[in-house]
This record gives sequence, structure tokens and C-alpha cells, in this order.
Amino acid sequence: MKRVAWIYHPDYLLHSPPFEHPESPERLVAITDHLGKAGLIDRMVVVTPEYPEDTDILSVHDRDYLNRLETACRRGDLTLDSEDTYLNRHSFNVALLSAGGAISGAKAVAEGTADRAFCAIRPPGHHAGPDVGMGFCLLNNAAVAARYLQARHGVGKVLIVDWDVHHGNGTQNIFLEDPSVFYFSIHEHPTFLYPGTGRRWEIGKGKGEGTTLNAPMAPGAGDAEYRTTFEQTLEPAVERFRPEVILVSAGFDAHRDDPLADLMVTEEGFRFMTRHVVALANKFCGGKVVSILEGGYEPSSLTSCIEIHVRELLEE
Amino acid sequence: MFVARRMKKKIVTAAPSASLFEAQRQMREHTIRQIPVVSEDGTLVGIVSDRDIRAAVLPTDMVPGFTIGEAEKFMKNTPVERVMTRKVVTATLSDTLEDAIVLLHDFRVNALPVVDAAGKVAGIITRTDVLEAFIDALGVGEISSRLEVVVPDMPGTLAQLTAIISSFHVNITSVLSTRHVDIGKRSNFFRVATLNVGPIRKAIEEAGFEILDPSKFLLP
Repeated sequence: MKRVAWIYHPDYLLHSPPFEHPESPERLVAITDHLGKAGLIDRMVVVTPEYPEDTDILSVHDRDYLNRLETACRRGDLTLDSEDTYLNRHSFNVALLSAGGAISGAKAVAEGTADRAFCAIRPPGHHAGPDVGMGFCLLNNAAVAARYLQARHGVGKVLIVDWDVHHGNGTQNIFLEDPSVFYFSIHEHPTFLYPGTGRRWEIGKGKGEGTTLNAPMAPGAGDAEYRTTFEQTLEPAVERFRPEVILVSAGFDAHRDDPLADLMVTEEGFRFMTRHVVALANKFCGGKVVSILEGGYEPSSLTSCIEIHVRELLEE
Repeated sequence: MFVARRMKKKIVTAAPSASLFEAQRQMREHTIRQIPVVSEDGTLVGIVSDRDIRAAVLPTDMVPGFTIGEAEKFMKNTPVERVMTRKVVTATLSDTLEDAIVLLHDFRVNALPVVDAAGKVAGIITRTDVLEAFIDALGVGEISSRLEVVVPDMPGTLAQLTAIISSFHVNITSVLSTRHVDIGKRSNFFRVATLNVGPIRKAIEEAGFEILDPSKFLLP
């Protein structure tokens, strides 16, 4: 059995919506209940996340944006820029602690206190850009973790595998011209789903051309299409890129029961993807995988998929 | 919207006496495929395309003795007025974008020089400009989700739908309403600036409308 770090903090529940909203604290309550009852948390390396250093956040986000976010929370604003992305007075701190959670997972893996990590954090991050929050996301947790590994642990090349059903436009933009971070996203086709980016010819710019890879899925696609894409598109790209760590932007909203999208992935699809990423990590980067929670809004499939995901990370 | 809003105003033109060689060089430099030919006072007299030039110059090696050097000499010595199209399909400054789209389609041309009342060239509008306008109109590239609703073809349905969307405090970034394959129905496409379309879909269905499930019309 592998040592898998479990990153969670009760303060993650403090960021709660002022109106009905799918990205709610109940998601994490359901996950912790479910994994606890399954006896999985007892078998993980429990790591308490810490608040990040300013420099670690500023490696991704602009100071002006952080100030704007903090002011909006303090002022009592209910949303940031659009109705999608709500705030309460805790949101700024919780967003920092969420990014801190991704860092803690990366740290545990980099320092060897764990082989892998699962970061049960929120708010999610992959839509957030350097100077903008959107799509339920305030700070880009995965991007912060990638930059942290590079800055503090001498990691050169990082692969981010984003299987949230929505395209991670924030993550893509942050690393668009950066050849040291490979961003792969599999998601529902942008013609049908938010945010409307992630077309197959978006492959990076300048020096980063070739280290962005998008696999848009037609509505109705499921396990078989995902398997083919991982084997035939992701795998050859990883062989060429040779990452030193793999981060997963792990959303579970491509599940067929999820209300926010039109894909048909099942528990078995998430088992396959986790197993495949673990195999790639074993082959290229000493097994180092840091999985970071993004979306997933239907409690039953969210928890059953995460149970499978964690079991596969444990290789029990 | 008028053509004048979407046309390119800074354009490359050629004098009737300019050589094919010079015209081709300009096309390559500016990555364009046609150049309006104008007289000294700016009056449009023709248009020359990369195709016109290709058609005018024999392929080298096809004719004995016609080498690349010979072809170049021919192009340098031949003025564009010898190969240009004289009956030019044009748009005027007061034409609408719809006029331009129909002209480009019906006359099967790639570009329309835009002329003012005096017949002088004021700009050019190409198929690319029209595609750009279409991309904008569809809301492609705006952070948004898509909804497709089939409604009975009768007054008031669009208003009902926008009222439902508005009740969720969500901006509509693009609306398109087209004929549906079934007679008596219309398809309405919306792009809405939210990730959370589920509740909107549900409310639209509860109001008695049909939401198209994209997975159903895509798979064979």
C-alpha cells in the first residue's frame, strides 16, 4: 500500500453560498463522511494544511487581484464579478487555505512524507486566472502548487492532468507560454459547456507551444472515449514531455449523474483514469501524484468516485 | 450593422500599370489574396487576385524554354490591368453587413471593395471579416454556457425564455433564433454567462419548453 496524504481542513466549510449554489460545503461534508466510514482516512497520512506564503500565491496571482478579492470579502460582497462566483466574509481566507492545501499536498509528496496526495479542498481553482476569479474559483490551487514545486523543491517539469468536465481556462492561460508546465485537459466540448474554451487547436503559445493539450469530448461521451483519449493522446504526450511530478485537477462532474454537464463517465472511468495517471507517474516521476479536488456536484457519484480514486492512489 | 463598421480601412491598392510581380509581392507581404486596382484619383477600375495571377502565368517546365527566370520576366513586364477583373462586385458605404454576406455568397467572390458615392475605394470587406462578425455574434470565446431550446413558432416565446433566464440574474451573451426541422417550431440558442446552467434548464423545462439534449443530436 502506498502512503497517500489526506489534506483537509474544517475551515474549508466556512466558504458557504449566500444563495442556492451547487458548490457548497456539503460537498466536502459528504466526502469526509464517506471516506471516513469506508475507513480510508485512517489509512492515509493526515496532513493539516497551512496558510501559504505570500510569494507562493503571488507566483500565480497579481497583487491587485488579491487586494480586490480581500476587499470584496471584507465589504460583504455576495459575488465576485458574476453571479456564479459567490463570496462571504470568510472566502478570502478559505481561498488562501485552499491554495495552501494544494501546496501542503505537493510538499508532502516532494519531501517524501507521502508517495501521493489527495487534497480535499475548496473553493476549486482551475477557472481562476492571474487577475480574475470565475466559475466558482477564486485562486488557482493547481497552478499555485505547480509553481511552489518549481520554486521550493527544484522541480523542473510539471504535468497537470485536468479531468474536470469544464475546461480549466485559468490554468491554461497561466501556463500558455510556459514550456515547463504541461497542461492537459479533457472536458465537454466548448460549444456546449462553460467556459467555452479548450478547443483542440489551443496548444500553447510562443515557447509554450506544444505543452498545452486539449481533448474536447462530444456530449454523451463516456468511459470508452475517455480511455481512448488517455491512451492515444495523453500517453504519447507524457512520454515526450517526461514530467517530474503529476498534478491532477480532479473534478468528478463528467460523471453521468452530474447535473452540470452532458457526459456519461462512470465510476469505472474514474478508476481507469486514476490508474492510468498512477502508471504514468510510476513510469516517469517516481510515482509522484498530487490530486487536487475541483468540481463534482452530485453527492452520491462524487463520493463513490472519490472513494475509487483514493483506493487507486493507495494501490491497496 | 453597416459594412463600414467591419471593413478594413487601411488597404493595399495597385495602379493599373503595376506589374504582376509587384502585386504578388504585396499579396505575400500582407497575406492577402486580392488587391483593388485604382486609377490615379482613387477610382476603382478593377480587382486582381492571386488566382488571376496564377492563371496568367504559364506553369514553368510545361512549355520548352519557359523557365522560372522567364516567368519572372513575364510577371515584371505584365501590368495588372491585363489580367484584372474589370466588372468588380462592390459594396457601398451604406450597405449593411447582411448585404455584404449575400453579395459574397451569391456572386461567389472572396472580397468586396467598398466604394463611396464617387466610386472611390474606401475599404475592403472579405469573407474573413464576415466570419469574424459571425464569431462575435455567436458569442464564441465569451465565457459562457450554451442552451438550446425548441419552442412553438409563435409570438412571445422568446420573451418567456429571456424572462426565465433573467430570473437567475444571468447575462445572455448571444441569442440566435432559427427555423427548426419540424414545421411549426423554432430553435433558440442562448449563450449564458454562467457555469451553473442546470437550474436554468430545469426552469425552462418546467415552463413547458423542450431543451435539446446535445448528446442526442450528435450521435449517429
